[in-house]
Amino acid sequence: MTILKGIDLEIKKSESVAIVGASGSGKTTLLSLLAGLDTPSRGTITLGDYEITSFNEEQRAKVRSELVGFVFQSFQLLASLSAIENVMLPSELKGDTDAQAKAHELLDRVGLSHRMNHYPRQLSGGEQQRVAIARAFASSVEILFADEPTGNLDTTTGQHIIDLIFELNAEFGTTLVLVTHDSRLADRCERSIHIASGELIEPPSLPEVVSGLGG
Amino acid sequence: MNIFSLALKLLWRDWRAGELTLLLASLVIAVGSVTTVSLFVDRLQQALLTESSTFLAADRVISSDEPIDAGIVDYATSLGLRTSETLGFLSMVFSEERAQFTSVKAVDQHYPLRGKLIAGDEPFVRGTPVDKGPAPGEIWIESRLFPSLDVALGDLLDVGVSSIPVTRVLIKEPDRGGGFSNAGPRVLMNMADVPATEVVQPGSRLTYRYLFAGERERLAQFETWVKPRLGLEARIFGVKEGAEGIGNALDRGERFLLLGSLLGVVLAGVAIALAAQRYSLRHYDHVAIMKTLGATPRSVDLIFITIFVTLGSTATLFGAAVGYGMQMGVARILAPYIPIELPEPSMRPVLLGLVTGFICLLSFALPPLLKLRSIDPVRVIRRDLGDASVADRMTYSFAVLGTLGLMWWYSQDLKLTLIIFSGSVISLALLFGVAFLLLRSGRVLGMQAGSAWRLALAGMQRRGQENTLQILVFGLAIMLLLILYLVRTALITEWQSQIPPDAPNHFAINITPEDVQPIRTLLAENGVDSQPFYPMIRGRVSSVNGESASDRDKRLQHRGQEAPGSSSGRNLTWSGLLPDDNIVIAGEWWDENYSGPPLVSLEKDLASRNQLKVDDELLFTIQGREVQTRIASIRTVAWDNMQPNFYIIFAPGTLEDFPSTFMTSFHLEKEQKLFLNDLLKAHPTMTVIEIDALIEQVQRIISQVSLAIELVLVLIVGSGGLVLLASIQASMDERMKQHAILRTLGASTKLILGSLAIEFCALGFFAGILATVGSEVTVFMLETEIFELDYEVNPELWVLGPVVGIVLIGAVGTFATRRVVDTPPASVLRELA
Repeated sequence: MTILKGIDLEIKKSESVAIVGASGSGKTTLLSLLAGLDTPSRGTITLGDYEITSFNEEQRAKVRSELVGFVFQSFQLLASLSAIENVMLPSELKGDTDAQAKAHELLDRVGLSHRMNHYPRQLSGGEQQRVAIARAFASSVEILFADEPTGNLDTTTGQHIIDLIFELNAEFGTTLVLVTHDSRLADRCERSIHIASGELIEPPSLPEVVSGLGG
Repeated sequence: MNIFSLALKLLWRDWRAGELTLLLASLVIAVGSVTTVSLFVDRLQQALLTESSTFLAADRVISSDEPIDAGIVDYATSLGLRTSETLGFLSMVFSEERAQFTSVKAVDQHYPLRGKLIAGDEPFVRGTPVDKGPAPGEIWIESRLFPSLDVALGDLLDVGVSSIPVTRVLIKEPDRGGGFSNAGPRVLMNMADVPATEVVQPGSRLTYRYLFAGERERLAQFETWVKPRLGLEARIFGVKEGAEGIGNALDRGERFLLLGSLLGVVLAGVAIALAAQRYSLRHYDHVAIMKTLGATPRSVDLIFITIFVTLGSTATLFGAAVGYGMQMGVARILAPYIPIELPEPSMRPVLLGLVTGFICLLSFALPPLLKLRSIDPVRVIRRDLGDASVADRMTYSFAVLGTLGLMWWYSQDLKLTLIIFSGSVISLALLFGVAFLLLRSGRVLGMQAGSAWRLALAGMQRRGQENTLQILVFGLAIMLLLILYLVRTALITEWQSQIPPDAPNHFAINITPEDVQPIRTLLAENGVDSQPFYPMIRGRVSSVNGESASDRDKRLQHRGQEAPGSSSGRNLTWSGLLPDDNIVIAGEWWDENYSGPPLVSLEKDLASRNQLKVDDELLFTIQGREVQTRIASIRTVAWDNMQPNFYIIFAPGTLEDFPSTFMTSFHLEKEQKLFLNDLLKAHPTMTVIEIDALIEQVQRIISQVSLAIELVLVLIVGSGGLVLLASIQASMDERMKQHAILRTLGASTKLILGSLAIEFCALGFFAGILATVGSEVTVFMLETEIFELDYEVNPELWVLGPVVGIVLIGAVGTFATRRVVDTPPASVLRELA
């Protein structure tokens, strides 16, 4: 079964892009391919200086560790780790020695310094997502991938999370790629890419960003 | 920070969050129960051997016709073994009035090393245990020598050229045994007095026995060292080779205990596998998230191997300690019921437990953990990937190799291992198919939440594969328990029937032909049942198919082999009828009134050791005359039936012409013992060998072995229960989730508990059937191949198996999952999210 076809897409450094489309349109699959979580059956993907489609899982993991951070709809915190330990994990995996100090600073930055030692199940959805955002920025990544970051949150909390993501994005100068069907969120991005039935649909307002089709 | 300390940190965090409790508990339980069982078995085994060693008065005996090299005893002493020396010979002993042919035994001050001598101050009493034999210048004689020599305590007896006073009555010596080599009545004297008697001359027939006792390892070391250094005239043996009836019971008992430990290992393995499986399933998401955060497959491997090693070492050490403590507790609690004193446990079983723990971990827990490396990170966003099964070919082959290796290592018995293993595998494979088909038949739609029954059955079908696996695990556990139970029952029944209460407990030998009828009458008058009277004539084989028998013995004799040669002297008899409990396995038994060329029938072991077969020609030398015979049959002999048994039996018509004595055996109740006085007074030339004490001892040992077996069964049932619990725990998440959802939708407590109960009972039923079939097959193989018992179908098993399955799994399962109705659904769902 072909899920995505004829995608030709370029995202510039520090740009913020929203991938929008209906459920089952293939936007999540596209995100996982771009982030190197999955491999396409055909075609190539280049992340930074690396052509990740020619890499094996070991090499892709290294690239993720170096360049990529994630924020997920379902937060994906490790239930057995406290908030601070979740934030420390990427730095620890990289072998950084200042993991704790950095995690402390980031949790402070997302406003959770008072809940650092709480476990995910003791935190509300919004708090969990803030921990996830702190974790995403913990390893000084260049690209942040976010999959429906507000999907599991109420409107007000969602708004706070959106604000936080964009603030940090600006602060750290990261490239932001997010999948959403929340139009408020899409509107905050510099551009939106529409996807339907696995194909990119040229948004009439921004024809110049899509450089062509074929694959 | 390096990956190892990260791994340790993760381990610590997992532990704190309670993720490790089940895995750690299974490991500790597995290692603990294996250690407990093998420590306990080891202690029982040592105790039984020590107890049985009293039959030899030692742990090992070197028996020789000539003195052995003094260096051998020195070496034994240097190993820390205790030693003693005895010398046996036949000699006439004279009192003032009479003479009697006796079997003299001279002992040193260390004799006996095991067991006790029992001596008394008047003949035919029970006597009291003493530590040492007679001092120099004293002799002790057996009760029946008092009437036959017409002496009293204090009288002088002439042995050779010395006169020595009789100071005590010898009631019992531990190593008297039931054989006929010591047939004469016993005279016990001190070794120091032997030279003065001058009975030891060149050419005298002497039996030197060197006794050794000490620690098992040292004894084994000594035995290995000494075997190649012994000449053809000497052999070394322990209690198993030395006392046939006991050896058999001990062998089977040991095999059973071993079987128990083996099954313990398998159960432990299953528990570990289940817990590890659950652990890695619960870590799928962890790994996927860590991978999105940049963990490489290699670092995932490193992290989980570090976790595994740390966890494994901790659990194994802890488990071994728990096992050590457990068996101490078990031994203490059971002390009043165990009639023998348990020796201190040796360290070997602890090591065994540790190694077992690690091998179990390697073969059952490592494979599912290694699978974590290939978890797809994309499952973080795409939950539809599901929980890929952790078990694959590698998992199975690890488990198979690990189990096989452990079983073999434990039993040192490839056959036993292969039987248990292939029995399990074949029944599992067969029943996997059946269980799967049963669950798959007739797919249903939806939850079918209308009634508890439909809900349960639909649930079972929906999780068809998991349930098939679970039935197999339940079935395996129940099967192992049933196997152990069946073998135990068969063994104990067999033992109980081995020595019936009225088995002969006295042998009478040296009966002259003219005494046969009067003795028969005397016995009958006193209400004593006797076996047939068998004539007994000494003789030996001088040539086999024309080849000199002693040359042939030398040619066939392998060094260290403990086989009697064909040329040694034997007691021969003749009979028209095949004795009770003898079975002809080759050739044919002759007609009751046979008359024709001389024929003989040989005992199986004698024939095979000396490579003799039906139709071979044997030339016998009997009392200076030669008799040419042909082997007509080979037969098995029940050596432990306490009746006169013979290696060689002649057909009627050959031995009648030779002067012979007769022997018989009879049963005498304790209160009838005094009848012996009358019997011996009336017929002083006959010899009565009292084996009632020996039989009592055999029965005591057998009841001890039976008790040991019961204890091990109980321990294994305990660990089997834990496996069931671990297995139910492992499937808990899925069930909890489903039922929590149903609770949210308003399902009643009754519906949910009912469906859980029905589901577990049904699983138990299938598992019970599987277990029954599997255990019948395995028990058939075990009983016929390993325990040499007669197999019988066990109809009660076909009820017992399924009922045990339903009750056990139904109860344990429902009990373990009842939490789902007591806990608010939201917390269940949050916990499992």
